[in-house]
Amino acid sequence: MTMTRRAFTASLGALAGSAALLPGRPALASREDELNILCWEGYNTDDVLSPFRKMHPGATVRAESGTSDPDMINKLRAGEVNVWDLINLNQPWARGQLLPEGLIKPLSKDRFLPYFEKMAPEFSGPYPQAFADNGDLIGMPQRYGPFSFVVNTDKISREMAEDQGWKLFLDPAMAGRYGVLTYDNWNLIHMCLTGDLNPFQPLDEAGFETFDGVAKQIFGGAKLLTDDLVAMNTALINGEIDAYFTGGTYTASPARLDGLTNVRGITPKSGPIDGKGGVVWIELTSLVNNPDPSPLAEDFLEFVQKPEICKAVGFAEGTYNPVAQMGDPEVAALWDAEERDAIQWDSLPEEMERSVEYDVVADYDKLMQIYTAAKRG
Amino acid sequence: MQRRDRQLGLLYAAPLTLFLVLSFLAPILLVAGFSTMPAKVFDLAHMPDFSAYGEFLRQGYWKSVAWSLGMALVATLILFVICWPLAYGMAKVFKRFTLVLTIGVVMTLFVSENIRLFGWVLTLMKGGLIEGYMRHWFGTGFDGLLYNVPSIVFGLVYVYLPFMLFPLAQGIAMVPDDARQAAYDLGATRWQILREIELPLAAPGILVGSLLCFVLSAGAIAESKLLGGQAVIVIADEVETAFTYGQNWPLGAALAMVLIAIVGGLAIWGIGRADLDRMIGRKG
Repeated sequence: MTMTRRAFTASLGALAGSAALLPGRPALASREDELNILCWEGYNTDDVLSPFRKMHPGATVRAESGTSDPDMINKLRAGEVNVWDLINLNQPWARGQLLPEGLIKPLSKDRFLPYFEKMAPEFSGPYPQAFADNGDLIGMPQRYGPFSFVVNTDKISREMAEDQGWKLFLDPAMAGRYGVLTYDNWNLIHMCLTGDLNPFQPLDEAGFETFDGVAKQIFGGAKLLTDDLVAMNTALINGEIDAYFTGGTYTASPARLDGLTNVRGITPKSGPIDGKGGVVWIELTSLVNNPDPSPLAEDFLEFVQKPEICKAVGFAEGTYNPVAQMGDPEVAALWDAEERDAIQWDSLPEEMERSVEYDVVADYDKLMQIYTAAKRG
Repeated sequence: MQRRDRQLGLLYAAPLTLFLVLSFLAPILLVAGFSTMPAKVFDLAHMPDFSAYGEFLRQGYWKSVAWSLGMALVATLILFVICWPLAYGMAKVFKRFTLVLTIGVVMTLFVSENIRLFGWVLTLMKGGLIEGYMRHWFGTGFDGLLYNVPSIVFGLVYVYLPFMLFPLAQGIAMVPDDARQAAYDLGATRWQILREIELPLAAPGILVGSLLCFVLSAGAIAESKLLGGQAVIVIADEVETAFTYGQNWPLGAALAMVLIAIVGGLAIWGIGRADLDRMIGRKG
């Protein structure tokens, strides 16, 4: 095809003209009827959002799920603090990174403190990670779960796994029989615990050497690595592996709800941090420090405290998790027997008792370096 | 007059050139900028110290680069060997069946790569299509075919087949039948015809196909994650880890720049050698 100069100029002009005609974004839009939520999967489901949309007809409510805490924090750092109104992450980040970097702001205590009273005993205190050093409320807890490792109880009994704890993965007989779920930030914590180290305290040289040894042995003996919990559960169910390193209610629950109750999250009976070897994650939802804030943000946070919405959040598609609000019998009654079994409700209190809180890893950078080098092999 | 035409051409091309520079080069320049920053910073307002490149050498990231490039090379060679007869058939033998084949291959591109790879996971895993049937028929199973380097290379070959097949067919179509017949008449063997007539004349197609496959395979991540169970850690995976769990943007940017420099250098070298104008038939 030949193109004349005139035709070319004309089409270029048309292009420029159409670009000029497109509506530009108003510089100072009012955000009274707009809400953007950055969250772990669950808050973005229809079961949660539709009732809220009905309460606020005309409002645009958008929720996007992230794939990792750091990924979502990156978005705020990269300037999307102007976009989001709420961010839902695991507990250490709000205190450790978001608040110091000015990415989130305190919630109204008058409005939200009363909700802590009805929560499960672990949270009704109220829950310390939800507060800044100066006492400001910086996030509301909801979903949580013990997160250590998962076994196929047909191959490795629950008792044996709990007794052996993390050492199970150092047993030469386990080589080639387990997978590593590459939730890398979690693996740093769990590999420290395997080496009898406390990841939340600075380590000395000997500690780093121990960690290096553990990381090399665990990656060396792993049959597969993946960051996909479905792939990992599939490998566990079809017998390719008997256990996986890093996992818990969050990863085991989908398989358990499908009737495969031999897939079970395990919390070790003992470990190096005050005798505890398990770890528990607790999500906090915080108010993003948006320069043009939406008034709907706190409304939504209050809305998700309602019993039926608690259930929708805890039982959203993908993974199933207990919620702090289940401390209220009215909320807990919404879960039937099978659903309770999926989230290992029977052993939840004792598992919580044996777990320490997921926290900021003191030597994260150095450990991450050793870890990625060991993963590379 | 001719000079003025050229100047006008440049002038007319200016808006689009500017657009391309902004949309294509700017992100790469941003990555390049970040790669020079000191570790763990999240903006460009710092003194460049290039320490991230030091990390690349000290921390053994070259291993991941080597795995990525090595597997890309093997996949490209396998693709060439597989696609040559197929492309030959498409260009010279199949006639109308070529269209059916083309549509068949293009159709696979309509389905997301991850879904196609998941299909292979279900086929190759223990208790999957292959192992499951073997156990059913013969009573003995084996350990599944996933989670190793060959399965990653298999994934690369499977996903990037169209990118080798079509340029190769185009290249082979450029080999004049007269030249081959003349070589026969002069007593050349089949091997000689392949080596001295067909391969050199189809070279642009071979080069373009190989470059596409190599460049795409070198940056591939899904095959290693889904089929390979991360049996080896590829460089794209390292970049992802550095940006996310590592929270070290400069390191991630430096890793990306190394990959961009290697594959970009190769691509420019290759394209410089291939006569693209001739391939698309603008020059006789």
